Amino acid sequence: MMLVELLEALIFPGFLFTIGLGFLFDWLERKVGAHMQGRIGPLVAGPHGLFQPVADFLKLLYKEEIVPSFADVAIYRIAPSLFFLAPILGMLFVPVIGTKAVATFDMDLLFVVFLLAYSAFVVVILSFSSASGYTTVASGRLVLQYVSYEIPLVIATITAAVFSGSLSLAGIVESQSRVWNILYMPFSFIVYIVAMMAELEKPPFDIPSAKTEIVAGWLTEFSGRSLAFLKLTKEVSLVFGGGLAVALFLGGPLGPMPANSVLVPVVYGTYFLLKLLAIVFLVFVLRTALARLKIAQAAELFWKILTPLALAQLALVIVLKGV
Amino acid sequence: MGEPGESRKEASAGLVQYSTENLVPFGPIHPALKEPEYFKLYLRGETIVDVIPRIGYVHRGLEKAAEQRRWTQNTYMFERTCGICSFAHSLAYVQAVEGLTTYEIPERALYIRLIVAELERIHSHLLWAGLLGHWAGFDTLFMWVWRDREIVLDLVEAVAGNRVHKSLATIAGVKKDIPDSMKSKIVERTKHLADRAYFYKGIVDTESTLLMRTRKVGNLKAETAQKLCAVGPLVRAAGVPRDVRADDPYAAYGDVPLDVVTRNDGDVYSLLHVRLDEIVTSANAIDYALEHMPKGPIRLKIPPTIPAGEYSTHIEAPRGELFYFVKSSGTAIPERVKARTPTLANLPTALELLKGYTMADVPVVLTAIDPCFGCMDRLSFVDLDSQKKWSWTGEQLREYGIKHYFPERNA
Repeated sequence: MMLVELLEALIFPGFLFTIGLGFLFDWLERKVGAHMQGRIGPLVAGPHGLFQPVADFLKLLYKEEIVPSFADVAIYRIAPSLFFLAPILGMLFVPVIGTKAVATFDMDLLFVVFLLAYSAFVVVILSFSSASGYTTVASGRLVLQYVSYEIPLVIATITAAVFSGSLSLAGIVESQSRVWNILYMPFSFIVYIVAMMAELEKPPFDIPSAKTEIVAGWLTEFSGRSLAFLKLTKEVSLVFGGGLAVALFLGGPLGPMPANSVLVPVVYGTYFLLKLLAIVFLVFVLRTALARLKIAQAAELFWKILTPLALAQLALVIVLKGV
Repeated sequence: MGEPGESRKEASAGLVQYSTENLVPFGPIHPALKEPEYFKLYLRGETIVDVIPRIGYVHRGLEKAAEQRRWTQNTYMFERTCGICSFAHSLAYVQAVEGLTTYEIPERALYIRLIVAELERIHSHLLWAGLLGHWAGFDTLFMWVWRDREIVLDLVEAVAGNRVHKSLATIAGVKKDIPDSMKSKIVERTKHLADRAYFYKGIVDTESTLLMRTRKVGNLKAETAQKLCAVGPLVRAAGVPRDVRADDPYAAYGDVPLDVVTRNDGDVYSLLHVRLDEIVTSANAIDYALEHMPKGPIRLKIPPTIPAGEYSTHIEAPRGELFYFVKSSGTAIPERVKARTPTLANLPTALELLKGYTMADVPVVLTAIDPCFGCMDRLSFVDLDSQKKWSWTGEQLREYGIKHYFPERNA
């Protein structure tokens, strides 16, 4: 039994599966964006350029790493791994091949929400550790963006928990065996997706890493291995954030089941992947179709529109639940 | 983060009262700038307090080089001042040279000049609209617009033989004719481009994130524009109907009806509309010119020397008013050629506009003037400490360079 659990954590649906999905989504993001913009996108490495993200990752791994002389070296070295940890660990709590995830405990939703906040703070620390002009501006933007999206994100998450009457992801998924939460709380879903895009810095919220304004934002001073892992983490975070949305609003891996018991995990996994792909595709289409906002405009959007919307949905759900 | 010594000098000259801690360098190498130029942004939080430009990173000494080349050779060299408004530069130069002579330029050549100049304007405006999308973080607009730009580049290639440097204008005429068989193709393509301009106007009006980035950003008032001597689409977007094509017609502009497009708000959104509308008016002008083009020769045979004298001319380049001054001593090479490009005229306006806006507006506002730093860079000597200005010969400049880069040689 121990071996099975270890394999689950390391290979499927744990570590390797998550990273593989991260690479796949990186490729998909480029391909969807390219086709929407009338381009071809990655083409050479693998079929339809499928392995281009892997090739880019490997290339960055053996490139020279330059540490700026003014950087806080200890944090500069450690923070990328701390950042990488968050989505990998978080994915273990997302149910993929059954209502129970690889790691699970009572009230694990709180831990998952903590992980979201944790990764945001690690980025701020990262940004400050390489103290150049651009990263300093980026740090300010990161913090402002964080305090903007975090509140509606948590409210949207809590709405699902309130309706399902459980603070564990397994409980939330099980409660959706008949009807998905999204039907009761469409606005929470919308708020969650927009806040997730802000957390992942997808356009129109790529403000802390806006290329034409502050070079690469908080990524400016990173190179080589660190950069490779930071970029990978951004993609894996999408897997984690999307997986969480699937569990909270789209019934996790649940769906019509065949009688054959051997195939059940495979069918669960397929349902999960299809739902995740739908969310990820939505994010990619949005990111291609929108222009970058200014930080003040993003804050306004979250504080003036999305937070009240999320609160209204929460109130509605509490009333529904009470009746 | 900037050199403290430099800032101290600027401070002593009364230019800056801010510490280097608030300084964020924008350039000389920056993803938003396609050419190297340095802008020191002094920020308070994200708000811009002051901008100090350091120009001269792409100075190439073209004006000096012109004094060693023949009149005709210079046509091709000045064309290389800019890769986008290349025809405008050669046109302004040949017009200035023609001003020193008494040649009757063939009518047909003037019409061909107009057609190519307007094709170039369509190209330049499309290129800018795409880049604005890129600067505002809207790469999809960039990719779409630049795909349509290929159409006009193909047209230019069909007419002139080259996509970028047309090499079409020459003193007392043009080098290539536009055959009648090509007319229908040009009309069809320019119609399509005008349709696309309407389509992009629709996008600009409806895409809410783009509206948030461009509306009420870089608001230029008509008086400010006139006081700072802004030119081209920038001043027209502020509501001043100033256009050399209409005010002082050159080439065949006197015969071709042309609307001067203006808007009243002076923000980047109005600029987008002005430039997209000008694509439509340019397309109409091309159609009209093709229809009414007279028959006849396209160039005169002229001697290699130009009569002595001075002449200056101006034309409406895609980016705005472009000045050329030539001075001849009656020989086969010019004594002096001087160009004043629209970017240099618009830069003070752009820097003034930036103040009070945020870091996020810098790429959008700074590049709203469609800067071409390669065209703009000139050389002058000033000492900020003593407020002195002087000029140097090439030899003195060379000595200074050696002293600056190899101090050990002089020790």
